Amino acid sequence: MPLRLLIAGALICAAPTAIAQQRQLDAHEHGAGTLDLARSGNILEFELRAPGADIVGFEHAATSEEDKMAVAAAIEMLSKPETILALSDAAGCEPQEATAILVAMSDEHEDEAGMLEHDEHDEHDDHEEAAAGHTEFHAHAIYTCSNPEALDRIDLPYFGHFPNARELEVQAVSDKGGFGAEVVRDQPVLQLDGKL
Amino acid sequence: MILLRLALRSLISRRVTVGLTVLAIALSTALFLGVEKVRTGARASFADTISDTDLILGARTGGVQLLLYSVFRIGNATNNVTWESFEDLASRPEVDWAVPISLGDSHRGFRVMGTTTDYFDRYKYRGGRALSFAEGGRPADLFDAAVGADVARELGYRLGQEIVVAHGLASFTDHDDKPFRVSGILEKTGTPVDRTVIVSLEAIEAIHADWQGGGRSGTPISAAQVRELDLSPRAITAAMIGTSSPLQVFKLQRAINEYPEEPLMAVIPGVALQELWEIVGVAETALLGVSAMVVATALLGMTAMIFSGLNERRREMAIFRAVGARPRTILGMLTLEAALMATAGAALGVILLYTGLWIARPHVDAAFGLYLPIAPLTGRETAGLIAVVIGGTLVGTIPAIRAYRISLADGMTVRS
Repeated sequence: MPLRLLIAGALICAAPTAIAQQRQLDAHEHGAGTLDLARSGNILEFELRAPGADIVGFEHAATSEEDKMAVAAAIEMLSKPETILALSDAAGCEPQEATAILVAMSDEHEDEAGMLEHDEHDEHDDHEEAAAGHTEFHAHAIYTCSNPEALDRIDLPYFGHFPNARELEVQAVSDKGGFGAEVVRDQPVLQLDGKL
Repeated sequence: MILLRLALRSLISRRVTVGLTVLAIALSTALFLGVEKVRTGARASFADTISDTDLILGARTGGVQLLLYSVFRIGNATNNVTWESFEDLASRPEVDWAVPISLGDSHRGFRVMGTTTDYFDRYKYRGGRALSFAEGGRPADLFDAAVGADVARELGYRLGQEIVVAHGLASFTDHDDKPFRVSGILEKTGTPVDRTVIVSLEAIEAIHADWQGGGRSGTPISAAQVRELDLSPRAITAAMIGTSSPLQVFKLQRAINEYPEEPLMAVIPGVALQELWEIVGVAETALLGVSAMVVATALLGMTAMIFSGLNERRREMAIFRAVGARPRTILGMLTLEAALMATAGAALGVILLYTGLWIARPHVDAAFGLYLPIAPLTGRETAGLIAVVIGGTLVGTIPAIRAYRISLADGMTVRS
C-alpha cells in the first residue's frame, strides 16, 4: 500500500513536468536573415527577420547612449520598406503599413510581451536580460499594387544599407504556389520570372 | 560544292574508321544530352508531383526530408505527429483544409497510405490536376482500398480483389486476418500516387488494434470485432495543409514551427524543392562536366584519327596538288571532313538519345517513379549540340593545318 501511494505520488509530481513547455530555441546565424514574401491578388506582404548583428553590429542590450541611438536609427530605417525592397515602378506598389521591431530571442515561446515595439524601446533591458543573448530585427510591410503582374524582379537595397548582412533566405508564396531562393550580397536581386 | 563532294567521297571511302569515330561522337553526345534530359526531367517530375498545397506539416526534421518522405515516399519519417496536435493546428483560423496522411505499412513493395477521403479532393498534381478513378471509386467501407495505376498494373489487380497489407516495409508479418478489398483503381498520374495503396486512417488503426509493442498480441481481434472499437487515429505521419490566402501561409508556418506542445515543422513544398535542387545541383554539375569531358574525348579521338590518316593520304594530297588544288583547298577539305563527322555524330547522337529515352522511359518510371518527358530539344540542349559541331570543326583544323603545311612542303622540297 505505501508503495502504491508512492507511485501515485510520483505520478502526480511527474504530471506537471510532462506537460511543461519544451525548451526550444530558434536557429540564429549572423549574416543570414530570412525574407518571407506573400502575394494575394493586389496585396503584397513581406516580413524580414535579421539578426541584430547584421543590422546594428551588436546583440547585447543597448545600454550606452550610442547603442540606443543605433537601435533607434535601425528601427527607423527598417520601418521604411524602401530600405529593404525596391519594387519595379511598373507594378505600382504603394506601402499601406510598415512596422519594425527588435525582438530578444529567448527559449520562451515568443509572445507580444517579448517583442520590443518601435515606440517603447526604452524598456528593452529587462527583456533582453532574459534572452539567450541574441536579438533579431523584424520588419513587416504590406503594399497594394495596381499591376502586380508587372513585378518580375525585386531589388534588395537592404544589403547596401546594412554592410554586415551577407545573405537572405527567401520564401515566397502566391496563388501560383511557393518557391524558395537565396539572395546574396554580391547579387542583391530576387528574380521572380512570373513565379510570384 | 566540289569540296563538299570530295570530302563526302573521301569519308565514304574510309567508312569503317569514320563510322567508328562518328559513333563515338554520337554516343558521347547522347550521353551529354541524356544527362541534361534526365536532370530537367527529374526536376519537372518532382515539381509536378504536388501543387495547390501550401504547407506540409510533420515532425521537426529537415525541410527536404519532410517533403521527400511525405510526398515522394522516399526515406522514412523521423517521428510521428500526434492526432491531438494535428487537430489543434488544423482548427487554426488560417487553415482552409488539412489532410492527414499516415505511412508505414506496405503491400508487396508498394507503400500503404492511410488518409481521409479529402485526399482525393485536395491532392493536386501537374499544375492543379485532381486524382480520378479509372475504375471503381473511393474507399467507402473500413476495409476498402484504392490502388494506384502501377500497383494495379504490376500486380494485375481487379476491382473487388482481396489484398493483404504487410506490417512495416519488410513483409515479415502480414495483417492477413484483416484483408482489404480493392474499391477503386486510380488513373495514371506519373507521381508516387501510382505506386501507393490508399486506405482510410481508421483502417490503419484497425489493422493495428490487436498489435502491441511491435507484435501481434495474444488476444486477436477479428475484422468484425474491430468495427465496434473506437478507431479514431492516435498519430499521423504528416499532413497537407491549404490556407485560405497566401498571406496566411507564413503566419501559420510560424505557428507550427513554434508550436510549444510538440516539436513540429511546416514546409512550403516549392521552398523545400528549391533546397533539394541546391543540394543535388552540385552532383548534377559534376555529371554534366563528366559527360562534357566524354564529348571532348570523342572529338580528340576524331582528331587523332585524322592525324594518323594524314600519312596514308600524302599520295592523295600530292595528286590533289598536282591537278591544281591549292594548299588552302586541302586545308578546307580536311576541316570540312571534320565538321561533317562532328555533325553526323551530333545528329546520330540525337537519334540515339530519343531512341534511348523511348526505351528507358517505362523502366525509369517503374524503378524511380520519374516520368521523363519526350520533349523536343531545349535551347540549352541545342546550344550544346552546336557546341559539339563547332568544337569538332575547330579541333579538325589542327590536322588540317598540318596537312596544309605538309602539302606546301611536299610541293617545294625535293625528296629522295
